[in-house]
Amino acid sequence: MSAIEITNISQAFNLGMSNQVDALTDINLSIASGEFVSLIGPSGCGKSTLLRLIANLLVPTSGAIVVNGKSAKQARLDQDYGMAFQQSGLFEWRTVAKNIELPLELKGWDKTRRQARATEMLELVKLSDFANHFPWQLSGGMQQRVAIARALAVHPSLLLMDEPFGALDEMTREHMQSELLSICRASGTTVVFVTHSIPEAVYLSNRVVVMSPRPGRVAEIVDVSIEGERNDATRDNAVFFQRITAVREALRGVEMSDHVRGIEDR
Amino acid sequence: MSSRSLSVIRSVLPPAVFGVAFIAAWELVVKGFNLKPYFLAPPSKIWQKFTENIDLIWGAAKVSGTNALIGLLLGAFLGMVMSFALSRFKFLNNLITPLAIALNAVPIFVLVAVLNNMFAITSEVPRRIMVTLVVYFIVLVNVAKGLTQVIPTHVEMMKSYAASDTQILCKVRIPNAVPYLFTALKISAPASVITAFVSEYFGGSQNGLGSRITSNIANSKNAVAWAYVLGACLLGLSFYMVSSLLEGVATPGGRAKRTREDR
Repeated sequence: MSAIEITNISQAFNLGMSNQVDALTDINLSIASGEFVSLIGPSGCGKSTLLRLIANLLVPTSGAIVVNGKSAKQARLDQDYGMAFQQSGLFEWRTVAKNIELPLELKGWDKTRRQARATEMLELVKLSDFANHFPWQLSGGMQQRVAIARALAVHPSLLLMDEPFGALDEMTREHMQSELLSICRASGTTVVFVTHSIPEAVYLSNRVVVMSPRPGRVAEIVDVSIEGERNDATRDNAVFFQRITAVREALRGVEMSDHVRGIEDR
Repeated sequence: MSSRSLSVIRSVLPPAVFGVAFIAAWELVVKGFNLKPYFLAPPSKIWQKFTENIDLIWGAAKVSGTNALIGLLLGAFLGMVMSFALSRFKFLNNLITPLAIALNAVPIFVLVAVLNNMFAITSEVPRRIMVTLVVYFIVLVNVAKGLTQVIPTHVEMMKSYAASDTQILCKVRIPNAVPYLFTALKISAPASVITAFVSEYFGGSQNGLGSRITSNIANSKNAVAWAYVLGACLLGLSFYMVSSLLEGVATPGGRAKRTREDR
């Protein structure tokens, strides 16, 4: 069964007014359960908008989104989602453990159950020693790991991430990518991942969705299909470089039709 | 010596030295130029009058302090209640906030003259109402800001977890507003004492620090007036220190520090 079924989605802001913006037109995308899909494209191609539509934080102007066989809204109300953003979005008045417990509080779990799950999640992201620290006492990479632990705390079937590693330095970023992959492998979570970085998209994904701007649409879908488990050796793999080239060329095609900005090509 | 106690000395020593030097210079100028006591009293004389009249000053401080405290608590309470209403109803916010900011800019405490007319001449109520009004607007503007200016990512995240408006209020907006409330209290605490003094200048019972200062000056008892000024300073300072201490207790760790950095 596909985890996400997107059919003929269009999204316009300020509909019918002189300043109408067509953020997305005619998006069709099917994401299989357990699949890792990245959305990449220049600024203004609507990749974040698409993510927010899947999360039901926005309602599409037209078209349908089916998540786990139900409407996106129902999926949100059932807490099928975990979300992570570029800003870790941790509450600075809560300790690390309490931050992870937040979605569980909203679900109405009792205290012992919440604490047990928080401990489990902290072990997963290797931050057990920092349970009672406050977020501002942690480095950026550690904060982001807490945010991921929080997103995964409800064991969501779907993880939606909007440039979660965008604010991290290159070393931390590669480390986080490997950790994210092993977490997802262990939990079988479906991931939709918005990024600006081509290597990041290729390294993480089963498929890379290349989007083009004004109006936002799917330009090409690159099948990554690298054999075997991904690890640091993958980054030196010839197939890895071929796929990076493929995504880059797809983005160049976008560039010919419109000026590309904001793509990291490293 | 630990680096912590060293840094305390470093932050306390310069102002302490300056303060002592200033008082010494004051004393020297008064003595050296033989200034008349009705022009400027020397600190030694002021201190002598302060210790002589300590019971009277304490009594007057209790009157002014009670007025300030009642007004402070009432104003903070009403300000918080109103800020919740403002954050809940947008139209109310558009209506009240510009008014509150405008009123903050004018010296509304002159209203006490009008209020004095409405109550018995010996009543403390007009002064307390005045303090309440001043504190009310400070708390209202700040807490309303704390309730509404939340990080968009926080709200988005809560919505992705299907949180209700009430849950967002309790888990995001109110905790976000706590440092704003304590900032407001730190501004309000000295302001409430000042308002209580100034309110006494507009007539009514001659029992508080403010009215004692004016009556002693009218009687040319300059040093005694200064002794009451010293009492007023200490009262304002104690209000500020209590509010500052409360902030430290209510916002543990570097929370307050962090919030300041963000601004």
